[in-house]
Amino acid sequence: MADTTKSTTKKKNSVPATRAADSATPLLALDDVTLRLPDGAAARPILDGVSLRVERGETIGLVGESGSGKSVACRTVLGLLPKNARTTGEVRVEGTDVLTAGPAGLRDLRRNKVSMVFQDPRASVNPMRRVGDFLTEGLRLGGMSKKDALARAEELLTEVGIRDPKGALRRFPHEFSGGMLQRVVIAAALTSDPALLLADEPTTALDVTTQAEVVGILRRLQATHGTGMLFVTHDLELAAAICDRIYVMYAGRIVESRPAAELFARPRHPYTAALLASTPRLEEGAEPPTAISGRPVSLAEAPTGCAFADRCAFAVDRCRTEKPALVEDGTGAAACLRVEEGILA
Amino acid sequence: MNRNLLRFLAGRVVGMVLVLFATSFVVFSAVHLAPGDPVTFLMRGRPITPESRAVLTAQYHLDQPFLKQYFLWLGDVLSGDFGRSVQFHQDISTMITDKLPTTLFLVVYAMVIIAVLGLALGILSALRPGLIDKIVLVWTGMAVAIPSYIAAIVLLSIFSVKLGWFPIYGAGEGFSDMLWHLTLPAFALALMFAGLLARVTRASMLDELSREHVEVARARGVPEGQVIRKHVLRNALGPIVTVVGTMVASMLVATSIVETAFSVQGVGSLLIKSVTAKDFPVVQAVTLLVVAVFMIANLIVDLLQPLIDPRVALGGDQK
Repeated sequence: MADTTKSTTKKKNSVPATRAADSATPLLALDDVTLRLPDGAAARPILDGVSLRVERGETIGLVGESGSGKSVACRTVLGLLPKNARTTGEVRVEGTDVLTAGPAGLRDLRRNKVSMVFQDPRASVNPMRRVGDFLTEGLRLGGMSKKDALARAEELLTEVGIRDPKGALRRFPHEFSGGMLQRVVIAAALTSDPALLLADEPTTALDVTTQAEVVGILRRLQATHGTGMLFVTHDLELAAAICDRIYVMYAGRIVESRPAAELFARPRHPYTAALLASTPRLEEGAEPPTAISGRPVSLAEAPTGCAFADRCAFAVDRCRTEKPALVEDGTGAAACLRVEEGILA
Repeated sequence: MNRNLLRFLAGRVVGMVLVLFATSFVVFSAVHLAPGDPVTFLMRGRPITPESRAVLTAQYHLDQPFLKQYFLWLGDVLSGDFGRSVQFHQDISTMITDKLPTTLFLVVYAMVIIAVLGLALGILSALRPGLIDKIVLVWTGMAVAIPSYIAAIVLLSIFSVKLGWFPIYGAGEGFSDMLWHLTLPAFALALMFAGLLARVTRASMLDELSREHVEVARARGVPEGQVIRKHVLRNALGPIVTVVGTMVASMLVATSIVETAFSVQGVGSLLIKSVTAKDFPVVQAVTLLVVAVFMIANLIVDLLQPLIDPRVALGGDQK
């Protein structure tokens, strides 16, 4: 539906990656979102024409290196914009635009529809208040009585596998391990029974063993609550393991989007391929990881053409001057000028 | 927790007794460190008859060895007898208990002003960067730099002499009259400390405002007012309480200047009069009082810290 109403105003590179949801309003739709920060006189671009979709109950991965703009994109969904940021495009949650929403609309969105799990549980929970206060804060704002809110919090703590949930409510964040605290954060995110969960690198700050547990809990709860999830990570392999569909970001742009298994098996953008090749493999006879040469650039310092051109093994002169559009190719889309040449085959 | 608390309290009380003991020794020895013999010092250079010398020698046990003199004096002090004022020929304990309510009234009144003004300006400054922040910073910078006797003179000349809104001297009788009389002294006393508190509040708030959990609270749809109250200000309390604690004793000392400027008969003005008149027993008593208040205030601050931040363990030896 977005296509017909918006296509006149949209640029050619913002064709939504999926048309499956045309019949119903998607849970989350970013349409050609551009975000710029004032940096002295010249505005500094952070996001450029980002479009993505999350349907109800679906897990969508947003993958990229640090500085690619994936976290910023994720935060726009809650209307959490950097100071003085200027945006164009639309971020719609269940059809309502977030970027033009007033304070009341934003509050409703944040309290009832969308929750976020942040990277570092130590930093994201107020260390001076009890875990019970943290868990019930949202519910109490919704007008629930303290007793009911605590009962609901206890229920959710049990669900995320905290032992002695009643006692946990009385304890302080520093009395929990990082993994346990992230479970508390996930429980808190689910108190409002949101339709959409944003997970911004929820396992990056945790031990490897804890990571698996936390991802497991997220997946299980998401399934039982029917929550859609936008999973932001730099770990393409993790994303491929849990997501239905993955968007790959580079320097503020979506460079490829595809169903997870297919992206993993047959990446069509050289950046995705390089990202996969740089992941160490455990299988026997696997090739050693190859690092991507050069360093990730931000959108502001990217050349006029393809932002990845300088690090790309397949780049030709044209790549440095001509900006590639995100072109659909059946199951997904890739933004590479040479995608049709079969360079990755 | 309760056993920890008791252990902590016991340790601190023992520490306080030791510090007071050391202070009392220094305070007592000072008489003997002053040039000339103690009797001449105590008589402040006036001619002495052999009879009065004998009376003084007996009163201050000056015929005893030094250490014995100290313990005899300490015994008196512990039983509440600080001796008699050389200047006013009055019992010092009675003098201090008579004047203490006025000084306490003044200090508490100033404390309220400091808390309201300092917190309000600090919070305002932290939440409104730009022009308002700059104005508050300039104002607090001035407030911190202006000594209380200058503040006293300026306040007196404007509000008492020119406008006639407040009395020029005295402490008044009864609550409302005292409130009226002590308003200018309290402001004179409070200005500098309020500036200091505003600065500390601002810095502590800014530190907390940049924390990720504050952003998380906003992301959860917590209204901004509640974010500021329950997450920013609440977490910024630690340094604020610490600085208020250290202010109490400094304020007690600062009352000497303010009370003198406004002719308020309190402990502070008594200290000034006693120092100028070399009324040594009174100076000793007030000094001990200030040290005791300082330590009690610090003890209260230390007891409050774990309530503010649960990560702070009492005594710091657990965990």
